[in-house]
Amino acid sequence: MPDAYLFDAVRTPRGRGKESGSLYTVRPVDLLAQSLAALRDRNELDTTQVDDVVVGCVTQTGDQGACIARFAALEAGYDVDAPGVTLNRFCGSGLQAINDAAAMVASGFYDLVVAGGVESMSRVKMGSDGGAIWDPRTQWNVGSVPQGISADLLATLRGITRDDVDRFALASQQRAVDAIEHHRFDRSVVPVVDDSGLTVLARDEYPRPETTLEKLGELSASFETMGRQFGLDSLTRGRYPQVERIDHIHHAGNSSGIVDGAAAQIVATKEKGEAMGLTPRARVRSVAVVGTDPILMLAGPMPASRRALHKAGMEIGDIDLFEVNEAFAAVPLAFMQELGVPHDKVNVNGGAIALGHPLGATGAMLMSTLLDALEDRNLSTGLVTLCIGGGMGIATVVERV
Amino acid sequence: MSKTIETTTDNGQAALSFDPAAGIATITLRMAGRANKINDDFGLTLQQGLDWAEGQEGLRGLVLASGHKDFCVGADIDRLYRERDPASLMGRLRELSGLLRRLEKLPVPTVAALTGSALGGGYELAMACKRRIALEDPRVQLGLPEVSLGVIPGAGGTQRLPRLIGIQAALEHILQGKIVRAPQAKKVGLVDELRPDADAVMAAAREWIQANPKAIQPWDDKRFRFPGPRPGGADARNIFMAAAAMLFKKTAGAFPAAEDALSAVQEGCALVFDRALEVEMRYFTKLATSDQAKDMIRTLWFHRTAAEKHEGLPRAEEHGFTKVGILGAGMMGAGLAFICAKAGLQVVLKDVKPEALERGLAHVDAEVAKLRHLGEDQRKALRGRVSGTLSVGELQGCDLVIEAVFESLELKHMVTRETEPVLAEGGVWASNTSAIPIGDLAKASAHPDRFIGMHFFSPVEKMQLLEIITPKGTSEQTLARSLAFTRAIKKLPIVVGDGYGFYTTRVFSAYIVEGAQLVAEGHDPATIEWAARAAGMVVAPLQVFDEVTLTLAAKGFKQGREYGRTLDIPGVALVEAMVERGRHGKAAGQGFYDYGKDGRRLWSGLKELASGTPEQTGVELIGRRLLGLQALEAARCVEDEVIERPRDAEVGAIFGVGFAPNTGGPLSYIDRIGVREFVAEMDGFADAYGERYRPPKLLRSMVENGERFFEAV
Repeated sequence: MPDAYLFDAVRTPRGRGKESGSLYTVRPVDLLAQSLAALRDRNELDTTQVDDVVVGCVTQTGDQGACIARFAALEAGYDVDAPGVTLNRFCGSGLQAINDAAAMVASGFYDLVVAGGVESMSRVKMGSDGGAIWDPRTQWNVGSVPQGISADLLATLRGITRDDVDRFALASQQRAVDAIEHHRFDRSVVPVVDDSGLTVLARDEYPRPETTLEKLGELSASFETMGRQFGLDSLTRGRYPQVERIDHIHHAGNSSGIVDGAAAQIVATKEKGEAMGLTPRARVRSVAVVGTDPILMLAGPMPASRRALHKAGMEIGDIDLFEVNEAFAAVPLAFMQELGVPHDKVNVNGGAIALGHPLGATGAMLMSTLLDALEDRNLSTGLVTLCIGGGMGIATVVERV
Repeated sequence: MSKTIETTTDNGQAALSFDPAAGIATITLRMAGRANKINDDFGLTLQQGLDWAEGQEGLRGLVLASGHKDFCVGADIDRLYRERDPASLMGRLRELSGLLRRLEKLPVPTVAALTGSALGGGYELAMACKRRIALEDPRVQLGLPEVSLGVIPGAGGTQRLPRLIGIQAALEHILQGKIVRAPQAKKVGLVDELRPDADAVMAAAREWIQANPKAIQPWDDKRFRFPGPRPGGADARNIFMAAAAMLFKKTAGAFPAAEDALSAVQEGCALVFDRALEVEMRYFTKLATSDQAKDMIRTLWFHRTAAEKHEGLPRAEEHGFTKVGILGAGMMGAGLAFICAKAGLQVVLKDVKPEALERGLAHVDAEVAKLRHLGEDQRKALRGRVSGTLSVGELQGCDLVIEAVFESLELKHMVTRETEPVLAEGGVWASNTSAIPIGDLAKASAHPDRFIGMHFFSPVEKMQLLEIITPKGTSEQTLARSLAFTRAIKKLPIVVGDGYGFYTTRVFSAYIVEGAQLVAEGHDPATIEWAARAAGMVVAPLQVFDEVTLTLAAKGFKQGREYGRTLDIPGVALVEAMVERGRHGKAAGQGFYDYGKDGRRLWSGLKELASGTPEQTGVELIGRRLLGLQALEAARCVEDEVIERPRDAEVGAIFGVGFAPNTGGPLSYIDRIGVREFVAEMDGFADAYGERYRPPKLLRSMVENGERFFEAV
């Protein structure tokens, strides 16, 4: 069975996911098409050789409905024979696209796949695609609460405090700002431009360099009213009867930002890539996806990482750098706490708290950030993991070549 | 010109009159028996009426009216109670639903003339008319109370009401099983018009028909839009999410009927109307054939009604009390003064302390002020019926004295000796003790035949239940008069035999003491609280312990020891230790909980008072222990002949103790599990957790004889 290798990776800068955000006027299909086009152009990729375009996108309705992967590939001018498939594993979608591409390649059925993700949260609102998750019947049979409640529940269960999450958030901001200043994202980031070639957005626009611990401390918890007054906290009690009261500690400043963006990456066998003149950057050592309690929802990264490490025959200490998606600060904190990983190995260039979390694209973006950081620091092994709605978790272990 | 059609069965009947000049027909439901009910006879009657109406030339409108006091009281619950076959029930629902659809699709205006109450299926029938005109009378009640019997509306209620008044308002009514009076019903849109008398209702119906010849049901109009947020939209989704959360917070998942009602509304509202009805029917069928619905219907409908009607109990035409003396002006005494005055009685409220009397009278003032629906004069008159005094002399001539002084045998004896002589000739003495045997108290009485226990529950203005205790010496007439009094003050009576703690206090003590015991054994306190609620208990044990206060409980332990009724278990010691540390309960700001500005939180010190860590714990186990121990106590009360009528065990536990209504009561709980299985489980608990779990002989003999408490359905 061949190994799957990761080649070049690109992403758009992340725009604030609001009507005032720079990327609001850009169609999501164009965000993705520009990433696909950039990937092709700078690698002189012969798109007749692309076996598939696998794209993660969470809210597949409205502007993002009707298999955005296929139409983005066509908009990007990919060969008509390069098809497209859009998948949804909630926040894990972008990484799932890479993992699926790797699996296709490793199976030997495909040789070269373009994987990526896209989400315009300013244009297509989170949750606007409906679904059983909102049904009372699913509530009774399965259980479901807004993610912020899950995040606060996770923190309460793990003894993570407001001070802990605010400090983590501050570090995320400082690291991201430092990374941008020192051009550590430059290899991956391709500016979004209009038809005239004018720049729409060149750099991530979500970070707040002015963030201080004091300012974070002043923000009021986002899910307290919903949780206490409207009783949503009680929906967790059936599964967590020991939690008399959830400590609401997450707010806009220590949770992931709502942003727009897209990403794309080449996944291929070493032979295929080299035959096309490409240089492999890393080998996919293992992938894993797990399901955990849907109410706690955010505890998936730990078992997913354990399973991926086990598959790779590695231990946690064998990993040089981690990207743990900062959906909420409690998630990477719980990860570090449970697996005993020091903060200086985790999200070294900041994370979604500072940079934003364009749902379907984030996983693919984290992979490019990880590869850039490993190369920058001349390290070898890395692990990307994300928590996922419905209680799932996903992880990928890579090793530079 | 008018003609009457008779249905082909004996007991279903309606009169149909037709005015050819106006083209208006009136179907007056006057079914056999005292009320119109939705049953097979009703179905036949409606079918015949529709057959006639659909073929009648010159028909320009139809009025549905009632020849009984109520418009229609809903489903025939006797029939529903016995229905266990889903296919048969589903078939009947389809027929009924089809008839109501035919009614609302008649090409003429249709009006429900609500000259009396329309509840459950009765209100669903009214909703299948295009207009609802009600009598402007607060005695006319409307609503969909089905969830309180463990089912949901089954004749289109979950689909018509949200389309009529909007999703959010409909959920408030359906999920809480709310019953509203006509004036309020008009405000929220359950009825369209109010008229002062029956003739005016009928006249308004005819007027509306003439003014709206082309009326169609809103949901049969192609341009129909939901009032308020439309289903599927973000606003509706938020409403459903919030409703689910509030519901779960209240029910802890122990009451699937309300949950399914919410599901039925949400799922059905997104569908075309005819098929939406099917969604409701499937939920209804599942619930109505379930054990939980059977148990809830038996207790909360049949037993409760029997208790309300004092079935099988001695009857007196009148209580004959005109002047009531109440001893002790605490919360209970003052509350009693208020409810007696409200029932039209003269009341003298007595205390020995001027401050206490003043507080008591202030409480009466406050309660009277709350009666906004009464006029100023009526409120004044009501308040004027209560006087306060510090002297026994003022009680002269009372024909009922209710003693509500502190729980002390000596004090109560003293008060009895001092006050009984002022009773009017033939007057009755009632003690409101919650535990001391009435027979012991009656020893101080010169007239033990007119001495009775009346155990009220706090807050007495709200709590419906009255536990009447009849020691051996109490005469039947005293009981009969007391029951007549119970009716006058609108309480729901159970009548039990004498003995320490009577019935409800024994069950209640078993509950809260076991809550403390679980803490002492090291079970997680938050889990204990949730487990009780998840099992269906209305209030969690440690929370309610704090409310009754630990100090009162500690006094009770002391008193109970004299009667050999206080268990020597760590839970009791834990409560006594907490009292010593000043953790007295909610009023003191600290008990099992700490009470602060942002609500209550379990005291973190509880874990240190625990003896260790239990081998087994969890919501399921704790729930079964808490319900099981109460059920055992109820069974012992049957064995001790404190409970003579099993219905009193069920009604008393649910309305007095807040015992899990989803079970139908402690004896129903045993039946549901199976007496044999229950005994085996409790024997296991007795081996593991102590002899208090050992089942009484009664249950063992029931196992041997294959008996149960209530007939199986």
